[in-house]
Amino acid sequence: MPAERAGYTVTMFLVDTSPPMGTLKTVELPGPDGETISKTMTHLEYVLQFAKLKIQEMIFNGRKTDQCGVITFGSEESDNMVHHKNGGYDNVEEYISIAQPNASTLTQLDELRPTKYMGDAIDALIVGIETQAHYLQSKKTWTRKIVLLTNAECPIEVEDWEAIVKKMDDLDISLTIIGIDFDDEELPFTEPNKTVHKRVNEEFYHTLTKSMKQGVTGNCTFALQEIARPDINVVRSTLMGSILRLGDVDTRAEEAIEILVKTSKCTAMTRPKSWKKYALREDESGQAIVLGSGKSGQSQIAYAPLKMRTEYYVDRSGDQGTDADVDVKMEDDDGTNLLDDETKSKDDTEEKKEESLEKVEKEELVRGFKYGATYVPCPEGQFPRLQTKKGIDILGFFPSKNLRREYLMGEVQFIWADPSSPQQQVALSSIVQAMYEKGSVAIARWVSKDGMDAKLGVLYPEVFDKVECLLWAQMPFADDLRRYTFASLVKLISKSGEEITKHPYIPIESQQAAMDNFVDSMDLMAAGEKDEEGNRMPWFNPADSYNPSIHRIKQAMFHCAIVSDVTSNPLPPPHPELLKYFHPPKKVIKRAKAAIENCKAEFKVKEVPKRVIKGGSAVKKGHEHATMEDDDMLLLDRKLESPARTRASGVTSPMKVDSGPQLMSPSKGKGKAKALNQDDSETEDEEDEDFVTVHHPNKDEDENLLLSKAANKSPATPEPSSRRGGPLPTPARSPSPQIDPGRAPGRIIGSTYPLKDFQKNLSQGDVVTKAVADLSEVITEIVMKPFASRRHKEMIECMHTLRDTCLTEDEIDAWNAFLPDLKEKCLQTPGNPEFWSEVKALGRDISLISNKEARKYGGAASVSERRAEEFVA
Amino acid sequence: MPPYDEWNKIDDEEDEELLDDSLFEGKRDVILFCIDCSESMLELRDDPNYEDVKTCHLFTALEAAMQIQKRKIVVGPNDSIGIMLFNTTRKSENGRREVSELKRNTFVFQPISLLSAPKVQELIQILDAARENPNELRDTFPPLPGKRVPMGDVFTSCNWVLRDGAPKTAIKRIFLITDEDNPHPGQGSKQLITSARTTLDDLIQTGVSVEPFFISTDDKPFDVSRFYSSILVPTNLDEDEESAGSSVLPESISISRVEDLLDQMRIHEVPKRALFSVPLQLGEGFSIGVKGYGLVTEQKKGSYKYFVDLGDRMEVATSRTAYVDEEHQADVEKTKLVFGVEQGASKTGDEEEEEESGLGFGVKLAQVDQRPFYTAEEVRSFRTLGLEPGIRLLGFKDRDELKFGDNIKHSQFIYPDEMTYSGSKRTFSALLKSMTTKKKIGLALALTRRNATPIFCALLPQQEERVDENDLVDPPGLHVIPLPFADDIRAAPIEEAFRASDDLKDAARAWIDKLSVKNGTYPPDSYPNPALAYHNAQLQASAFREEFDPDSFEDLTEPNIGMIHKRAGVLMKEWKLALLNDDTANVVVPITGSKRKADSSVDEAEIRSKYEAGNLGKLRVDQLKDFLKAKSEPISGKKADLIERVTAWLDSH
Repeated sequence: MPAERAGYTVTMFLVDTSPPMGTLKTVELPGPDGETISKTMTHLEYVLQFAKLKIQEMIFNGRKTDQCGVITFGSEESDNMVHHKNGGYDNVEEYISIAQPNASTLTQLDELRPTKYMGDAIDALIVGIETQAHYLQSKKTWTRKIVLLTNAECPIEVEDWEAIVKKMDDLDISLTIIGIDFDDEELPFTEPNKTVHKRVNEEFYHTLTKSMKQGVTGNCTFALQEIARPDINVVRSTLMGSILRLGDVDTRAEEAIEILVKTSKCTAMTRPKSWKKYALREDESGQAIVLGSGKSGQSQIAYAPLKMRTEYYVDRSGDQGTDADVDVKMEDDDGTNLLDDETKSKDDTEEKKEESLEKVEKEELVRGFKYGATYVPCPEGQFPRLQTKKGIDILGFFPSKNLRREYLMGEVQFIWADPSSPQQQVALSSIVQAMYEKGSVAIARWVSKDGMDAKLGVLYPEVFDKVECLLWAQMPFADDLRRYTFASLVKLISKSGEEITKHPYIPIESQQAAMDNFVDSMDLMAAGEKDEEGNRMPWFNPADSYNPSIHRIKQAMFHCAIVSDVTSNPLPPPHPELLKYFHPPKKVIKRAKAAIENCKAEFKVKEVPKRVIKGGSAVKKGHEHATMEDDDMLLLDRKLESPARTRASGVTSPMKVDSGPQLMSPSKGKGKAKALNQDDSETEDEEDEDFVTVHHPNKDEDENLLLSKAANKSPATPEPSSRRGGPLPTPARSPSPQIDPGRAPGRIIGSTYPLKDFQKNLSQGDVVTKAVADLSEVITEIVMKPFASRRHKEMIECMHTLRDTCLTEDEIDAWNAFLPDLKEKCLQTPGNPEFWSEVKALGRDISLISNKEARKYGGAASVSERRAEEFVA
Repeated sequence: MPPYDEWNKIDDEEDEELLDDSLFEGKRDVILFCIDCSESMLELRDDPNYEDVKTCHLFTALEAAMQIQKRKIVVGPNDSIGIMLFNTTRKSENGRREVSELKRNTFVFQPISLLSAPKVQELIQILDAARENPNELRDTFPPLPGKRVPMGDVFTSCNWVLRDGAPKTAIKRIFLITDEDNPHPGQGSKQLITSARTTLDDLIQTGVSVEPFFISTDDKPFDVSRFYSSILVPTNLDEDEESAGSSVLPESISISRVEDLLDQMRIHEVPKRALFSVPLQLGEGFSIGVKGYGLVTEQKKGSYKYFVDLGDRMEVATSRTAYVDEEHQADVEKTKLVFGVEQGASKTGDEEEEEESGLGFGVKLAQVDQRPFYTAEEVRSFRTLGLEPGIRLLGFKDRDELKFGDNIKHSQFIYPDEMTYSGSKRTFSALLKSMTTKKKIGLALALTRRNATPIFCALLPQQEERVDENDLVDPPGLHVIPLPFADDIRAAPIEEAFRASDDLKDAARAWIDKLSVKNGTYPPDSYPNPALAYHNAQLQASAFREEFDPDSFEDLTEPNIGMIHKRAGVLMKEWKLALLNDDTANVVVPITGSKRKADSSVDEAEIRSKYEAGNLGKLRVDQLKDFLKAKSEPISGKKADLIERVTAWLDSH
């Protein structure tokens, strides 16, 4: 079926607004959770839904050439072009002139109300034809559609209707009459107590549309049902010219084969339409801006449309190594990045990053490639391409049974012989038939245009009723295949090199039998509809499977375009047609029930409970990104089990020893092994209880740990360290004691008297950066400890000193990085929100260092004064 | 060609299809080559490829490392590689402080760092020198005479090297290359084994995995059980061998002949990464765990980056996408986005309230307690239809129900995951066997990630197949082949055409029979992507500051024309003759189409005669266009362009 030319259409809606249209009707609507809601509306409101949905579809498609106009009959005014010209045609109004519809078209339709005036449908039809014809005078090829919406309760003058039919046929107009409560066999529906008027009119409408080339009369309820059915946007594929070649056409032309072909898409991925993004306009404090200027004097809020803008930043510090982790994208993120918390932490990361970055204009940028760390300039954005010649070259043939179906890489194309040349058609036909008969497919190289990148693929013979063609699908190059290794499922080798035949991984006979039975019972080959001969066909056919996302999103978009509040008027459930393949057919489920139960009993599959690991370690910034590849994670999780068990037996055992992120950065790695060796413990013993550098997996365990510690009052027992994504352990040392309760390894600031240490270090001179970094770490650590409240005051003192130092010693960036980090951690759970509110209470003086402030001391900062103020607001 | 970054921009709700490839782009991969440098590795042997050339295992290993570097540098420019040698007396220079902690007789040749052109070139130079002078490697890296470094020390040194150079979130792997299957025979071996195991354990715990490449020769076969099985087994980072760990060998050991070393490494070049891990629901209350992998994914050219000239160096500019309320010029936080539709085309006329309220175009007003737009969470639920990630089996169909034309994108591969559901492996194994014996495919509904769209897919079973003991060619598992939706299927635009007679078909069959490919199937390994290789060769030349020679480039995907003509030339000619004599071939179809003027077309002979006379200019534009159209050539451009194109066509035909 050749597709209708999309767009280039004018649809006239003729809406009956006569008094009978005010009749009330109770309709059952599906609620969001599948329940039905009864709603009472006028006939006019009811029938307008059809027009609104049609118009919304036009708005949705957004074609300039998809236009409509609305004419009402039964209107007070007689404002139409035929009336103006010839008189008559009273109570027909050109309500909306022909144009591309938009949201206000729908609003205008909503304002229509039944009137006190009777209108004649035939008058409206003539006005509609004339108005449309006038508008399309110079656009003769456009498609003309007229939709008449009525309940057929008003008398109509039916004389001369044959002339109208002729006129409409001449103009190729299609007429759709949507009638409320028209009798319909298919629905099925018969209206009881139909008025005489209506019976006559209804009959007339049927006669009218039947005598036309393109006319249909239908029941409104049925039409609304049909319109909600997922509808496929039929796209006509363009035929692209190409040449199918075999052999050397240049020098051995007498042997070489060339066939002129046309290609067209056989499958093409359709994606859901994208959403337009909006945001509520807010004032600086994050409150919605309320406008008092509503039509009814009501206050209103405004949602502004958003535009996307790409900005470029460069890191002038050249500190590639440290920021490296920030832009690492984790597998975990991508799936959930629409969720608020994820996005938030990501944004915070971005914010932090932003401060060390400098914005650059796109014009200043040059294009190039990275060859490892080496810059390769390439201002054009690409190197010269390999010379290629347009066409499809056959490389050879192989049996189709050897085709690896999973290699097909993407969309499929048709290859047809040139439709204008019988000779070419016969040529291709002979090849396709021969391939089909032999059961062969061909390997071919496809170049879509001279100079375009070549692709390799397979040509597959396809024989239709009256035509043959080839199908093409791209196949992988050597570069496109990943050869991961996977353990055998049937052959397990023991340590001693022998094959193991009995193992929990290998199914035993009874299990295999249960599975065989299951596969048989879940067969779909005869679970579908019956064909003409009454035989059951297979269940599921791609040609009947709608993309649920596309249609659901479309439905949602339509919905939000016609309702004003999606909270009180939520989206109704998806059309059942979308979900018909979401579960196996009922018959099959029933049939397979016993087999499934048997399998459950045989295989005893158990879900392995998820381990608590993420929460505990996510506290540290560095560790957030350590949600590494799941393989390693699993293994490490496993490793962690044993220390956990030990703990249960009452031995104090820090689960994770964290030596602070500065240790991890390679640039500061100097002498860290020595640092690990350093023994700071004399000062720390008594501080032990609230001061172990340990991350606790959860609160309960925290308490255990603390209790046992309090009881022991002795330094922690050494325990092998287990870290994930953290620094590598010192090879020679682990497994060996690594506890450092106070001054963490490599730190120059201890946790006992941080301020003292800090000041001492400053007075000594040139280790300011290190001291600042360490104090920041120490403050964060202490604040995050249980029972930190008794040190809040001390910490705030530390922060004041730290801030002053940062300001005067040009460590502004350090402060501006530290503070958001601290805030984030405090506000997390488990966190320390009390401490943050204490900090906030101090106001601007403790906030981020703004550029203005920094300049006073000859420094610079990327934080604006406003942001500094907001940060503690 | 327009730069492709413009349409490369990914919108996060639409990106799920694209994610497959980009998912791991940010992930860094670190490989430390840890190569044995003992006497036997340095022993000179005849080169298998070149006469009178001597080579040694070390040379092959280094060359493989160089090849891997060259590959890595283009596919993962952020990856790091280092090379460490052991059993050598070479000492590190004092300049390299980071190696000060290294154990004796281990030597860091290249510390772990980002790949760069000089680094690769350094290796190439030493290899070139070694090719000239077979003793070069022995001189550069003198072997440790008479004894071996304890393997424990080797692992300790590896640990140091990785510590110094590897970013902490990277995937860290050690490629261990040795030909010695029993490094610690005799006395004290027990202790040495224990220490090797402990140090290896340390490595594993920090997320480092060791992938051994053992070299086996005829006179020195490699027996894993002599030493390595006792240290590798319990520790080797792999999958989920929790319960079997103690009894089953890890899968990633490769023992090969030295010639296959590079091939073996290629297989391991990219670390195995799962794209998703979801339950596979076979029935109500009957689910197993599976992990999904992308085995077939288009490898694209690296996209260019934007650089900033900082004077002393070029720095990559990072891009960030912000959403802006243009009227207020303020960035909007991602969490505050709401989603709706365009407000339709702007109305011509001034009756719009929005305009007069001065809020700007497209602003939607709502009452205070109303919300006209959806939240991100709602939008996600529309996309997923409320499904949670997982694959739901719908039933089984015959193998031949999976049609060639029902394809829309590349497949993925699932393998059981014992760590999420215990018993997954045996269930999966039984399922696989059942499906294979019964020649069935599965039909399933899949949502592989939280933000993806649900798809229907065919599950195609693949039984494992191995060529020999160690080589698993086809891993066991199910291929997940996405099926097109009705929305994706296009109708055939041509329904009827002339068809060939049986004679003509037989004539075609004759040459088709002669043109079978060698191994009887599509051989992906024989076809490296020419466009990609051409691009990478230029990239490399430019980075090495060498001249790129386009003539030296060979496109392996071009048809073997010589062979085609040799085998089937005569038969092809016969077919062409049969075609010319075919009755149907001489029918002229009445040309349809309203716009075409009557009889304006000229035939090819006429055009050719004009061409030979140099009179093409006398033809009208529409005549030229008709001709070009018939030859599947573009018909755009001015008359001069058309004439040029017609000339070009006639020149070549």
